[in-house]
Amino acid sequence: MSASTRIASKDLKLRVRDRSAIIIGIVAPLTLAFIFNLTFGSALDTTSLDLHFGLVDQDQTTTSASFKTVLDDLEGQGMATIVSYPSAASAESAIAAGDIDAYFLLQPGMGQAIQTGAPYVIKVVGDIDHPTSTQIATSIAEQYGQGVITVQTALGVSVEMSQTPPSPLDLVSWSQAAAQQARGFQFVPVAAATRQLDGPTFFAAGMAVFFLFFTVQFGVSGVLEEEREGTLTRLLAAPIPRRSLILGKAILAFALGIISMTVLVIATSLLMGSDWGAPLGVAILVIAGVLSAIAILGVVAAVAKTPEGAGNLGSIIAVTLGMLGGTFFPVGRADDLLSKLSLITPHAWFMRGLGDLAGDAPWTAALPASGAITVFALVFGSVAWMLLRRRMSR
Amino acid sequence: MKVAVIAMTNVRRMLRERSNIFFVFVLPLAIILLIGAQFGGSFEPAVGYHSADDDVIARSIITALGSTDGLDLVSYSSSDDLLKAVERGQVQAGIFLPAGIGASARAGETVDIGFLARPDGFGAQLQSTVGAAVSEVMTPVAAAHFAATQTGGDFDQALALATDYVRSLNTVRVETSAVGEALFPSTLGRFDLGAAQQLVLFVFLTALTGSSALILTRQLGISRRMLSTPTAVGTIVVGEGTGRWATAMVQGLYIAVATLILFRVNWGDPLAAFLVLVAFSAVGAGTGILMGSLFSNDQQAAGVGIVLSLGLAALGGSMVPAELFSPMLQRVAHLTPHAWALDAFAELVRRGGTVADILPELGVLALYAAALFVVASFRLRRVITRV
Repeated sequence: MSASTRIASKDLKLRVRDRSAIIIGIVAPLTLAFIFNLTFGSALDTTSLDLHFGLVDQDQTTTSASFKTVLDDLEGQGMATIVSYPSAASAESAIAAGDIDAYFLLQPGMGQAIQTGAPYVIKVVGDIDHPTSTQIATSIAEQYGQGVITVQTALGVSVEMSQTPPSPLDLVSWSQAAAQQARGFQFVPVAAATRQLDGPTFFAAGMAVFFLFFTVQFGVSGVLEEEREGTLTRLLAAPIPRRSLILGKAILAFALGIISMTVLVIATSLLMGSDWGAPLGVAILVIAGVLSAIAILGVVAAVAKTPEGAGNLGSIIAVTLGMLGGTFFPVGRADDLLSKLSLITPHAWFMRGLGDLAGDAPWTAALPASGAITVFALVFGSVAWMLLRRRMSR
Repeated sequence: MKVAVIAMTNVRRMLRERSNIFFVFVLPLAIILLIGAQFGGSFEPAVGYHSADDDVIARSIITALGSTDGLDLVSYSSSDDLLKAVERGQVQAGIFLPAGIGASARAGETVDIGFLARPDGFGAQLQSTVGAAVSEVMTPVAAAHFAATQTGGDFDQALALATDYVRSLNTVRVETSAVGEALFPSTLGRFDLGAAQQLVLFVFLTALTGSSALILTRQLGISRRMLSTPTAVGTIVVGEGTGRWATAMVQGLYIAVATLILFRVNWGDPLAAFLVLVAFSAVGAGTGILMGSLFSNDQQAAGVGIVLSLGLAALGGSMVPAELFSPMLQRVAHLTPHAWALDAFAELVRRGGTVADILPELGVLALYAAALFVVASFRLRRVITRV
């Protein structure tokens, strides 16, 4: 056993006996991921928007029935749940009770107005706290209205363009054909991969990488503790190279990081149903992530005067990078400045790498993000190595 | 007098700790700023689009989409970027307008518009909204094509007629109105909601991290030395409790005043807001003392403190408003003091309440504080007098 691994295994035993590393490395991220998933899962749009619409049909004609058919089709496609109410008052109390988000009010005279081309207003009444659902209800009614207008226009223009006035029979067949005809466009699905994490995986991964930067500190700041307790000078006097000492602490930090992440990946998969993706890809990301944490906190340890100072500065950096990196909630919108700024943190790349692995992607999908994290590890690692060696030779 | 000295020493120790400049003074404001930037203001879903060519119909569709309420339209210069943005959840849905829409429409072909929504958001339902905007543009085109086919006439003539016809037509319109009392009224400032949530989170967090100070006081033998002076155990216990409460108050007052000045956050009735802070700080202090007397290792206490303060904050609605929770979870949320404090702030800020309106919330917080202090002082008395 080399000097560095002997130092690392001695420290590892100490860290396991003192339970703080276990609390920070495993208990804290696991508990918080569970609570966040519980509370945010029900509140954020990580789950489908559950649309509940009401219908008040005061017209009771075939025309108003055709509107209901449109809604029934949506219900058939699983887009929304539709409930009929006898009156506007009953639908409004359903909104107040939270049973529906909005309702359509078809007042008497709809059938006649649409047959004769007279003006008619479909009313949509929505819950003030569900603007998106209300907007969708409005769009459904508008699309129905556009369909009516298309038929009316098609018939009107046909009549106007006919050389001879159309026979009543023509009109009937035209209106049937016009009602049948396509609206001129259709939506086609676009094939896409999933590059986003579901709730249980997002919170598990976010908390795991957030606390990783605290767990690794237990190893990295070891040099400073040896220095304060006077054991460092004794170690330096021993016939072991200086780099073994730094390497020993780095190995300890690496072991703590890997153990914590491995336990978290397995525990959240089993307990919360997190789906981390292809194991090899996850392993590469985790290794890169642990290395970048060691490198960044290594620089902190090299510049700090005392272990407490290193702990405090390390926590400040860990919290700042974690918040900006989107480990608590996704940061930035579309491709704004904040989402670009987020990418200066290894945390954001770690989350992106896992996102790229989502949806059964092969392990290679994690390589670009792992590469970016490795750049952090190399840059900060070299600086930390240089500074720590200089510190030891003082 | 001795109580005040012990308490003030606690506050001074917190202020002298240099990292607290960040955790107590910088971080709360940074998070309020970040959350305000991220979630404050509009909650409109972002929808991306890419148009493969600069066709007149494509342009009309984009204009129609842009004038649709409730959509935050984002343009992407390549379909690949748009695809990735939807896949990564940066936008809720993507609209892919193909090349040659105009030519296809003239030929009477059905135009295929690519639509991609995230499977887990409400992007799929946004298809109706996008469809309504596209219909607006495509209605005359479809009608003209129908008329030209049925009568054997010229398409361009039919299109001109159809465009006029649609304009003159005054048939089916849709009117939207909203009912109910808004949970988050439009007068609520961009930072108002987040400021109250973060105040509650950080007051509790600071009170709990204070437990390590209490552990150090015991470890270093300060409490034993205090006992050797003519100071009663009760005085030390009350002094430590007041100290924890005072540090929590410093944190809370700082956030309230700084957000008031920097972000013009509305805290409602000042006296009532102050009383909520007093009561909630007492709950935090009670919990901090209890933890400080239960643990003997300050690093362990710090770890458990973070879990407790972030976990209770999330459950109590300090991260996502509890109003958005399921009814079951809302009941669970009200087991935490956070939910009661946030209810009180909501009453003050959103409904202009006064002290009289928040008496129930203040009562619950006072009960929490009293119960925690009784248990904590009993426990602390035991640990500092133990030989």
